[in-house]
Formats: sequence, C-alpha cells, structure tokens
Amino acid sequence: MMFKILFIIFMTPLIAKDIYFTRSGAISFFSSTPIEDIKANNEQATCVLDMETGSVSFRIPIRGFIFKNSLMQEHFNENYLESDQFPYASFKGQVNDWGEINLSKDYQSIEIKGMMNIHGVSQKITEVGRISLRDGRVIGNSIFKIKVADYGIEIPKLVRENIAKVMEINIDLDLKKK
Amino acid sequence: MRVFIFLITVFCATEAQDDLLDLIDDGSSSPSIPVEATFKATRIVNAQSIELSRPQTLEFMILHRFGSMQNGFYDLFGMDEAAIRFDLKYGLSDRLSFGLGRSSLNKTYDIFTKIKIVKQTRGSNPFPVSLVLFSKIEIETIIKGIDIADRLTYDLQVLMARKFNRSFSLQIMPTLIHRNLVDTLDDPNDLLSCGFGGRIKMTNRTSFNFDTFLPISKRQESFKQSWGIGVDIDTGGHVFQLMLTNAQGSFESQYIEQASGGIQNFNLFLGFNITRVFTL
Repeated sequence: MMFKILFIIFMTPLIAKDIYFTRSGAISFFSSTPIEDIKANNEQATCVLDMETGSVSFRIPIRGFIFKNSLMQEHFNENYLESDQFPYASFKGQVNDWGEINLSKDYQSIEIKGMMNIHGVSQKITEVGRISLRDGRVIGNSIFKIKVADYGIEIPKLVRENIAKVMEINIDLDLKKK
Repeated sequence: MRVFIFLITVFCATEAQDDLLDLIDDGSSSPSIPVEATFKATRIVNAQSIELSRPQTLEFMILHRFGSMQNGFYDLFGMDEAAIRFDLKYGLSDRLSFGLGRSSLNKTYDIFTKIKIVKQTRGSNPFPVSLVLFSKIEIETIIKGIDIADRLTYDLQVLMARKFNRSFSLQIMPTLIHRNLVDTLDDPNDLLSCGFGGRIKMTNRTSFNFDTFLPISKRQESFKQSWGIGVDIDTGGHVFQLMLTNAQGSFESQYIEQASGGIQNFNLFLGFNITRVFTL
C-alpha cells in the first residue's frame, strides 16, 4: 500500500502532464512609418501549452527573424536586439480563466498574461488571442503591439523616421500533443 | 510517515512547476550558426575585409584620400588635393561578389572578385575562422601608347579572419602582388607580404579599425611599411570610414607597396570611405 502511494506520487509529474507544443511557431513583426515598412518572419518559435493549467511558455531565437533586406537583418541582430548577448526572447504566462474554456473547433477569444522577456528586459504584459482545437491540434493566434522602448532597444535619431516606435507582432501557432 | 509523504508530495509539486520548455527538451543541440559582421564594411581601413557585398545588393563605394598633411594650414592639411576611387560591386550569392573600380591615382581601372571559401560558425559544430579569396586585376592607363600587358598588375590575397567576440575581430592576409612591368631590373615582379588588420567595437554603431602590411620578400630601400587607422560609423544605409594612413592610393598595389608617408613632419593622409548599399 505504502509503495503504491509513493509510486503514484513520484510518477504524477511525469505522466499527468497533458502537453501540447510546437518548435516551428510563426512569429512576425511589422514596423510601419510613412517612409518605409519593415517586416521580418520567424518560423522557429518554440511554444508549450499545459492543457491542465493553461500555462504557456515561448522561446524565440532572435537570429531566426528573416528580413527581405539582409543588411537590415544584420543591423537588427548587431545593433538593436544584440542577439549575441540576448539570443532568445521568451514569454512565460497563463491563460486567464483556463478552467472555463472549453476548446472546440470554433475560435474562442482568450486573454494571456505573463512576463515577456526581450533584449534582456522583462515586462509584464496582458494580450488577447484566439484558440481552437482541430483534429487533435491546438491552433492559436494573436496580434498585439509592443513598444520598442519598453525593452531597452534604442532607435538612433538618424533612422527615427524609418522605424516605428510600436511594433505589431503576429503569432500563428499549430500545437501538437506530446 | 505522514511527514515523509508530505515532503515527497511537496518535492514532486515543485518539480512539476519547472519551466514547461524543459518538458519537450529532447537534448538536441542547436545547429551551427554562421558568425555575422566580422567587419562592418568590405574594407578594414585600406585593406580588404572578409565581408562580401550581400546577395542581390549593389554596393557603391567612394574611397577618398586627401593630400599629405605635411604643409599644414597652407593647403589645410592636404584637403586641396585628392586621390579618389569609385567602385561598384555586386553580390551574386553569399559566397561570391565581383566589381569594378577606377582610381584617379595613375588613372587605374580594376576588376575584382571575392570568394568566401569557409564561414566562421558557432554552435554545435563550430569553425574558428572565415576564409576569403580576393583577386584583382589593375589596369594602369596614365601612360599612353604602351602594350596592354605592360599595364597590368595582379593582386591575390587570402583573407583569414576570426571574430573573437562581439567587439573584437582580427584578420591575417597573406598577399601576392605581381607587376607585369617594373621600373628597373632590380625590381622584382612578384612581391610577397602579409597583412594584419583588426576591428574593436566601441559602441553598437562605431568601431576603431587598423591594418598594416609587413613585407616578406625583398624590397627596395625606399619601401615603407604601410598602415592605416580609422573609425567606422554605421548610420543604417551607409557606412562611413574615417582614416589616417601613410598611403595615398586606395588600391592594393598602391597601399601595400607604394606607401610614401611617415610620421615625421606629419607626412600622412586623411581620408574617408563611404559605402552605400542598394537592394535590387
């Protein structure tokens, strides 16, 4: 009896996790000014969703952002995000009222709050998104905005007209069961 | 016993609250990543750097050297005179670029290519250095009425560079210059040398650069070792390079072999390079 109890307690964290994840989440950002539009796509985002608790974790390699203009991409890594020092952006958070959400084929609006870390700076954020469950896969997407200055990323005076102060972030996820 | 079970439960609960990302960590290591921006421009100061024009981009470069500073205010530290060079290069892929240029010094035209043989990478399968082959043919046109073969000079360089960390890069460049026509019988046609150059980043957009070339084969007594120090300023679409050097020409046979200045009497040259990139 004692052994059984111990066994169950030990195994609980290993077997009870109902985890959905992806390693190829699509994340893009968009900067729009009257002078130019800048866009970069990243399809290497890792995202994990715990179906029991509704907690989520993201890890986004900064070098995975691909620009059309390779010079911009170099500047992005070298001068703005400093990806040598801060190779990943991350987010750790929780879907609000997860217990009341019943996943179905139709999209439902959700609210996620947690800590976003970009360029070594952490900020508490709350953003909205949509989620659905189709063919055993969790589909999620979200569009939100972040302020570049919040994460200690400086835009020099000379290009202030070319780079937006607020970036639009677009997230598209297709999570499969672990 | 109850205490024991309680402790284990607490222990397991904390374990379960570890980062979710760890749960899908399958231990696969990250792929190797090429090291970018060893240097900011295609030149260090005078010397070629291992950087190529980027794929499908056209790069226009102005290399401007003023006259000698030795006359002081009389000609405003050489600003009344100038040796200028224009070049235009195109990146065919991330491993091959080519271009052509013209320098006012000796009215010299040139065509050149850079081939990236190996890229420095880091990650699971790192490679310590980048290797680039640089070759150029210079055509001097200042003298009229001589054979085309007598106008030619060939430059061949192996550029080997390593970016040690985000703010320090070093480059070694064994160099062979072959002149078809030499001034006297004592002058060798082939000149061997080895160059050294480096970059120290000061801020995200500025760096201090230096380069110099040491002769290996025999030289005339009048030969002076060339050197240059400079500052790179990256403004987004442009890179400005300001420099102080003892060689006025900004093509290989000039800045490696024909350095004329020295620190005595401030017989040095101020200059700048401007790079403008056009994405096609």
